[in-house]
Amino acid sequence: MPTTRRARHAILPPMNRRNWLKLGMGSALVLAMGGGWVASIAPGWRDGAFSADAQMVLRACGKALLAGSLPADAAAESAALDGLLQRLADAVAALPPHAQAELSELLALMGTSAGRQLLGGVSAPWQNATVPQVQAGLQDMRFSRISLRQQAYQALHDLTGAAYFSSPQTWTVLGYPGPRDL
Amino acid sequence: MSKLPDPWLTGLQQGWAVLGHTSEPPTTLSADVLVIGTGAGGGITAELLARAGLRVIMLEEGPLKTSSDFNQLESEAYPTLYQESAARKTNDKAINILQGRCVGGSTTVNWTSSFRTPSETLAFWRDRFGLADLTDDALSPYFQQAERRLNVSTWLTPPNENNELLRRGAAQLGIPAAAILRNVKGCWNLGSCGMGCPTNAKQSMLLTTVPTALGLGATLVVNTRATRLNIQNGRVTSVSAEYVDKKSAPSQESIAKSAIEIKFGHVVVAGGAINSPALLLRSQAPDPHDRLGIRTFLHPVVMSSALMAQRVEGWAGAPQTIYSDHFLGTQAIDGPMGYKLEAPPIHPVIFASSIPGFGEVQSGMLKTFAHQHILLALLRDGFAPASAGGQVSLRSDGSPSLAYPLNDFVMDGARRALLSMAEIQFAGGAKEVLPVHEQAQPYTSWAQAKAAITQMPMVPLQTRVVSAHVMGGCGMAASPELGVVRPDGVHWQIANLSVHDGSLFPTSIGANPQLSIYGLVNRLTQDLIGRLGGKAEVLA
Repeated sequence: MPTTRRARHAILPPMNRRNWLKLGMGSALVLAMGGGWVASIAPGWRDGAFSADAQMVLRACGKALLAGSLPADAAAESAALDGLLQRLADAVAALPPHAQAELSELLALMGTSAGRQLLGGVSAPWQNATVPQVQAGLQDMRFSRISLRQQAYQALHDLTGAAYFSSPQTWTVLGYPGPRDL
Repeated sequence: MSKLPDPWLTGLQQGWAVLGHTSEPPTTLSADVLVIGTGAGGGITAELLARAGLRVIMLEEGPLKTSSDFNQLESEAYPTLYQESAARKTNDKAINILQGRCVGGSTTVNWTSSFRTPSETLAFWRDRFGLADLTDDALSPYFQQAERRLNVSTWLTPPNENNELLRRGAAQLGIPAAAILRNVKGCWNLGSCGMGCPTNAKQSMLLTTVPTALGLGATLVVNTRATRLNIQNGRVTSVSAEYVDKKSAPSQESIAKSAIEIKFGHVVVAGGAINSPALLLRSQAPDPHDRLGIRTFLHPVVMSSALMAQRVEGWAGAPQTIYSDHFLGTQAIDGPMGYKLEAPPIHPVIFASSIPGFGEVQSGMLKTFAHQHILLALLRDGFAPASAGGQVSLRSDGSPSLAYPLNDFVMDGARRALLSMAEIQFAGGAKEVLPVHEQAQPYTSWAQAKAAITQMPMVPLQTRVVSAHVMGGCGMAASPELGVVRPDGVHWQIANLSVHDGSLFPTSIGANPQLSIYGLVNRLTQDLIGRLGGKAEVLA
């Protein structure tokens, strides 16, 4: 017979930054950052748009994640990344508030120097980090023993892949013909 | 945009009562019966009630999108037709859940696979949950009616290559595979079922029962979410609702005092598993035996991709036309977890976001996109003591959160499923097989894949798991200690509240659940009509 098991009508605590950190990050990072400092980070997503720091994170990660799929020409690559950022913003705008809030926190943390290094595994500032450096950081997150880092990697991987390849302009690489004319 | 006829455009012109579509709905409404949700359960319920002469309001949180809006584009479909933009996740982010959120619910975006509830599943429900009336014979007429109504029929077109590969690979190994019945009429074999059917071939609730109910005078309120059932002395006195428009979660304010109040004699909750238990939790519905929101089942899905020499073009042609139940029967139903094998559609967004790896590895996979073949395994959860499923609770904003532990028991099934799929794919001629797992590599032989999968750490997140079937959370049982609702679908503690959706199921189904919902809800609604004094009606 199925057993009864649970806290009755559990209401989860609000996912503020401090809770989110405690949830999976391990004490070293929390200690390094300190509670007051964490609370002072500007959100990565506010009023329907990414912060400048969040855009930097998404651009650097996008370039690393999509290496091999982005156009080779520098100007074309830059335009493709602009398109990616726009589609990411559209995608995030359609997410429910709880998912937006979590993503906002992730991007805010990744945008700080400590977050970039401890969560993202990238030592150089985002605007100077090379593709191999960011890829190494992503790989580190992907296989980390800390589930928060795995979750963060998968969020970046899935969102970037979904947003980039939602544009018909990217389909020639795939040989995907797109919708049939009806 | 589809230039084909759209019956909704005609219906709206003829004056169907659809509120909330082009402007905010009124603040008070009343009916004999309020049906919350327009998916598989709500649709069937609404048509039958309307035909029985009862005044019906259908309440739908999602938007009204119809064939003229369906452009075969993932970028449009996921944000508009799915819960949480098709990115609803369990609270540890380890399972991504595809669930509809639009008029027609998941039936608008499903892949049309139609199976009756397996006999062994019903036997388990009779044995463990006291549901003595749920026999194959007793349910058969209700399934038949649903099958006629929705044209559930043999699909005579040859399977696309992605499905044919399942048949061919399984046959090489002596594993039986068979054709899947589909609820379509005049299907164009496009393959874009998951983005809404642009040709109106799919006999979803969007095309069938909801329009029928409207034609009989029912009212449909869209973009409007039930925030709370107002319960007094064992009855629901009214339902509070809010116009959703762009908002995606019920706000604290709206739960306390919603703008819209709906009165009725009886209410049917059919918001789908996850949302239905969440509505009852928000309403603080009585739950003396701690049954509400527990035993949520997902048919956790693992996937295996394979590189073929030939073009597969998994985007083209009907998805999921071949299946194998072989691995459901290789052990006892309450033994190690069994699984059903199917072959999904393959489109760019879902492929790029699901396949592990990035950079040059991912771009290499994408360059062979047309040659990629994918199998999936649905794990049959809820039958063994170690498979108690998940639990729905509420976030501080009132939105539902689902905890679903991917424990060793589940992951043992996932490992065996990855092994079976890789073996079948190699038997079907795969040059390489990549199990969808962060730590997997493309393997070039069955021996190599077998050795690797056997050693792979089968843990959440590292193993990519998805779900398209949400069941349970308001389970049905013959005693209040075991379930939220009675065998007639009425809440054990609330006399004028029925639950008519997948959240009724006391376990998972072990097959794609749409026809199980249609059949069971058809039966429950015919009983309900009798009790409400409507004229007797059957579906179809």
